[in-house]
Amino acid sequence: MVCATLLLAVAACGVRGPAPAAPTGSPESGGTLRVAGSGDVDHLDPSSSYTVVAYNLARTWTRQLVSYPASKDFKTATTPVPDVAEALPKVSGDGRTYTFTIRRGVLWNTTPARQVVAEDFVRGLKRLANPVQPSGGISYFTQTIDGMQEFFKAFQQAPKTAAGISAFMQHNEIRGVRAIDPRTLEIRLTAPASDFLNIMALTFASPAPVEYERYVPDGPEFRQHTISLGPYRIEQYAAGRSILLVRNPSWKQEADPLRHQHVDQIRITLGQDSTDVVQQQLEAGTSDLSWDLPVPTSAIQRLTGDPNFHIYKGSSLSPFLSFNLQSPNNNRALANLKVRQAINFAVNKVAITRIYGGSRLNTMLDGAIPPGSSGYDPAVRPYATQGGTGDPARCRSMLAEARVSNLTLQFPYRNSGNHPKVAQSIAANLTKCGIATKLIATSSDDFYGRYLSSVAKSREGKWDIGAPGWLPDWYGNNGRSIVVPLFDGTNYAEGSTNYGDYNNPEVNALIHEALTAKTGETAAKLLREANKKIMADAPIVPLASQNVPTFHSRRVMNAIYSPLSQQFDYTQLWLVS
Amino acid sequence: MSLIEASSEAEHTPGITPAVRGKGPWQLAWERLQRDRAAMVSLAVICVIVLLAVFAPVFAAVTGHGPQDQFPETGLTPEGLPVGPGSGFWLGADSLGRDLFVRLLYGARVSLLVGVLSTLLATVFGVVTGMLAGFYGGWVDGVLARLLDVVLSFPYLLVAIVLVAALGAGVPLMILVIAFFSFAAMARVVRGQTMAYKEREFVEAARSLGASKLRTMFVDLLPNLVAPVTVLASLLIPTAIVFEATLSFLGLGVDPRTPSWGAILADSTDYYRVAPGLLIFPALLLLITTLAFNLLGDGIRDALDPRSDRLLSRK
Repeated sequence: MVCATLLLAVAACGVRGPAPAAPTGSPESGGTLRVAGSGDVDHLDPSSSYTVVAYNLARTWTRQLVSYPASKDFKTATTPVPDVAEALPKVSGDGRTYTFTIRRGVLWNTTPARQVVAEDFVRGLKRLANPVQPSGGISYFTQTIDGMQEFFKAFQQAPKTAAGISAFMQHNEIRGVRAIDPRTLEIRLTAPASDFLNIMALTFASPAPVEYERYVPDGPEFRQHTISLGPYRIEQYAAGRSILLVRNPSWKQEADPLRHQHVDQIRITLGQDSTDVVQQQLEAGTSDLSWDLPVPTSAIQRLTGDPNFHIYKGSSLSPFLSFNLQSPNNNRALANLKVRQAINFAVNKVAITRIYGGSRLNTMLDGAIPPGSSGYDPAVRPYATQGGTGDPARCRSMLAEARVSNLTLQFPYRNSGNHPKVAQSIAANLTKCGIATKLIATSSDDFYGRYLSSVAKSREGKWDIGAPGWLPDWYGNNGRSIVVPLFDGTNYAEGSTNYGDYNNPEVNALIHEALTAKTGETAAKLLREANKKIMADAPIVPLASQNVPTFHSRRVMNAIYSPLSQQFDYTQLWLVS
Repeated sequence: MSLIEASSEAEHTPGITPAVRGKGPWQLAWERLQRDRAAMVSLAVICVIVLLAVFAPVFAAVTGHGPQDQFPETGLTPEGLPVGPGSGFWLGADSLGRDLFVRLLYGARVSLLVGVLSTLLATVFGVVTGMLAGFYGGWVDGVLARLLDVVLSFPYLLVAIVLVAALGAGVPLMILVIAFFSFAAMARVVRGQTMAYKEREFVEAARSLGASKLRTMFVDLLPNLVAPVTVLASLLIPTAIVFEATLSFLGLGVDPRTPSWGAILADSTDYYRVAPGLLIFPALLLLITTLAFNLLGDGIRDALDPRSDRLLSRK
C-alpha cells in the first residue's frame, strides 16, 4: 500500500526489505501519518499562532530565518541554527545590528514557484502588528526591534480590512528592519539582546508572501489560501474538523537543513475529546500520534517499559501558587512577607507532584525559575521542607510570630483537568496551618480575565491566591519569556501575567541588565541573582515543572521530540508497515 | 404481629366476626405494606443507609480518616494513583488520597439531605399550587396551569447548570433548584385530584354548611390527597438524589472538598481502569439507594390503594 502511493516520488521503494523494527533503520518514504486529537489550532496564520499544536503544524509548512534542529539532546534542540538564512547572522560590534543572508533555493509554493526574499520577512514582521489579529507575541518584537513599538501603535489605527492593511504596510516601514537586497535582511535593535535569535526562531517570525496582502490576517479566506515554503503544504483545512497536509512539490531537501519529507501525507482528525479513546487508538494502531491530548495519567504505570512510550523533560512553572500582593483582605496579610513565607513552608509539594502523576512526570520546584530555563539554580530553595512534604508546624509558628490569625483566603481555581485537585490539596495544607480558604470554581477564561489578570478585581481582593501555570515560549536563554512576564514589576497593567503585582526595583534592574547583556551566559548569571532575590520576597510558591509523557503507534520511526511544540516533529519521522 | 395474625384469621374464616377494634386506613395500609417483601427490604436498606450516614463520624474516628483529610503519602502510589481497598483504607482511597469509605458515608448525608429536603419543599409548593389551581379553576387555574407547563417544558439540566454557574454552588441552592423542577409534577397530580374531588358530595356538604374555601380546601380536601402525594413524594426522593449526583458529576455541585457521590463518580472517570472501586462503590450505593426508594414508593402506592391491579394480581 505504502509503496503503491509512492511510485512517482521514491524510486528505491521497491528494493527495500521488510521494515526494520529498531528506530535506527534507514528512512522509508511514503504513507499517511494519522494524527488524532481534540481541538483546532488557535490561529493558522503564523503571525498569530500561539499554541504548541499550531507550532507543530507550522513546522511542516513554514520556516524562519533561524530555527531549532530536531535533536534528542535538550540543549541542541533549544539552540537556534540557520534555516532560511544561509548562516547565523552577522552581528555588529555594538550587538545591535543583525544581518541575515537568505539561502538560495528556498521557494514559495506558488505557480510558478519563486524564491523567498528579504522583503517577505519584512512583510512577515510588519504583519505581526496588524490591527485585526495582532500577534500574541508582539511584545518580544516591540521590546527589541528599533521602531517596532511606533509601527505597532500606528498600525492599530489602520482600517481593519485587507486593503487597508495592505496599504498601511506598503506606505509604512519599521525603522529597524530593512531589505538591503533580495537576499539580505538587516534588523537593528534598540539595545543588544542575547536572546534575539530565539525571538527570530519563533513561528511568529515566519516570512509572508505578497499574496497574503489579499486577505485579512488569519481570516477564513487566509486559512484557505496558505502558501507553503516547508516540506508540506496545507491541502485541506476544515475548521475544527480536519487538516490534510501533502508534500510540497516546490520544496527541496538541499535547501532545508532541518526538515525532511518522509511521509506522503499528514491527516489530522479533530473532535475527539477523550484522552482514553485516543490512547486506545494509538495502541491499536488506528492512529499514529496524538495531536493535543496527553497520555492519560492512569495509563502511565501500565505503559512503563513500552518502547513507544517516552517521558520528556519539560521546563515550566506549572502550576505555581501566586499571591495577590494587592489584596485588601485580612488586613492586607498577603503584603506581609512573613505570611507568604509561612505559606511557602506549608505546602506539601509531594502531593502536587503525585496529582500530576508522580516524580517521573514532573519535577518539584523550589525556585522561581524551572530547570531548562535561563537563571535556574538548584541551590535556591529557601523554603524547602523535609522531603518536600510541607511543614505546617513551622507555618503556624511563623504566622504566630507575625501576629496574624484567622486568615480566610479567596482561592479561585479552574474547573478542569487537575486544577480542582491542586486547589483542594493546597487548601488542605493551609487548613493544617490554620488558614481557611474559600474555593471558587471558574472557567479557564474567567480564571485569568476576571480574577488573576484583572487589575480592578485584584485590587478589590476577589482573589488572594491562585494556581496558574506558565510555559515559556522558548528554552535556554529565555529570561524574556519567563522572568519578565512573571516578575518584572515595571509592566504591571491590565492583562498582566505578573498576577500578584510583585514589584522589587532591585529585581527589575537585574532583569533589565540581563535582557541587554551581550551573551546568554551573562544573562543567565544575572537571572540567577534575580531568582535568589525573587524567592527571598516569596511572591509565589513554586510547585512543579511538568514533563511530557508521549506515545506513538508502532509504525512511527525516528520520533524526535520537540520541546518547543511538545510533540514529535512531523518532518523527521517515517512510517513502517 | 398480633394484628397480622388477627387479620389473616379474619380472612380465613369469613363467617365469624372476631371481636377486634376497627382499623384506620393508615393501619390497614401499613399491614398491606408489611406483606410486600420488596418494600420491606427496601425500607430496611434505607434505614441502614440512614444509620450509616448518621454514624459517619464514628467510622471517621475508627479509621482515623476525616472526610476531607488527604493522605498523599499513604493513600496514593508514588505515581499518584489511588491505593486499592486494604487495611488502611477499607474501600481504597480517592485521587487525592482521601478515604473512599468515609467519603461515601458523608456523601450519603449530602444525598439524603438533598433528596429529602428538596422533596419536602417540592411537595409543599406542589400541593399548595395544585390545590389552588384545581379548587378555584377559572383564571387562577389558567395562570397556574400555564406556569406549570412552562416549568415542565424547561430543559431542567441546562437551566440548573446556568443557575449554579451564575449563583455559585452550594447545598441550599441545589435543594432549591431541584425542588423548583420537581414541584410541577406534584402540582399537576394534586390539581387533577382536587378537580375530581371538588364535585363530590362531601365538598358540597361542607360548602352548604358554610365552610370557608380555605377550610374546605385544607380540612376536607387535603386528607383525601395524602395518598397520591405520599406516593409521588416517595418517588421524587430518588429522582432528587440522582439529580444531585448529576450536578455534582458535572462539577456544579457543592464545594469540591465536600464529599458527594456524584463528585466521587466524576473523579473516577480518570481512574476507573486502575482503581475500579472509585467507580463501583459510589455507583452501587447510588443504585441501591434509588432502587430502594423506588421500590418502597411502589409498595406505598399499592398499600394505600387496595384497588390497585397489581396488588390484586399478587394475591
